[in-house]
Amino acid sequence: MINLFEMARRFAEAEAKFVIVGGIAIRGHGGNYVTEDLDICYSRTNDDLKKIASVLAPLDPRPRNFQEGLPYVFDWTTLQHGTNFTFETSMGDVDLLGEVKGVGNYEDLVPQSLLVDFDGYSAYLLSIPALITAKRAAGRPKDEAGLKVLEALQEAGKEEGEQ
Amino acid sequence: MNRTARQRLLDPKPGSKIAEARDFGIDLTMLAENLRYTPAERIKRNDQAANSMLKFEEAVRNAKASKKSKTQ
Repeated sequence: MINLFEMARRFAEAEAKFVIVGGIAIRGHGGNYVTEDLDICYSRTNDDLKKIASVLAPLDPRPRNFQEGLPYVFDWTTLQHGTNFTFETSMGDVDLLGEVKGVGNYEDLVPQSLLVDFDGYSAYLLSIPALITAKRAAGRPKDEAGLKVLEALQEAGKEEGEQ
Repeated sequence: MNRTARQRLLDPKPGSKIAEARDFGIDLTMLAENLRYTPAERIKRNDQAANSMLKFEEAVRNAKASKKSKTQ
């Protein structure tokens, strides 16, 4: 069962330092693209790696496409041995990114983000202009539709939910 | 008169980025609809949609498997 909202809420509850990027961020701004994974850019201090790991560990994370039947040990030190990770979890897939191309790392992203309420906890959502910058920097054909959506939403001038 | 974001999406000006998105094939009515919700509500709706798609995919897989077993 996919529950990306709850996963993000748990990261926020754990006071992990992260910014939501990718498809869920586009969706949060009003896009109609349906995505099955949560992409976050995260702070890589040891304290923050421990917080991220404390949320993921109970969700039985395994690298995506990891061979079935093989044991996989996950703890916060796993996150020390790389920068970008793609995990399957019991709540859905999550991509951990140390940096977003064209925009930067967690510290660079925060000033370009909006704080969004996740049922009582706040989490950063990368802004529309920064998402556009990231999509353009990525230069992938598959992002073209998402880029059109973001440009339309930016022009419509609406980033917050309309009441 | 100032138009709301929803109005701008539903009635884009010629030559605008919104019109470009429409011509590209983006369903602007869905974007306008999404603006009725808060960001958190939009993400929850994504989860619901993703789970519905998975159920649909499973139903199609089961139907294909059933059809295959009947023809064997």
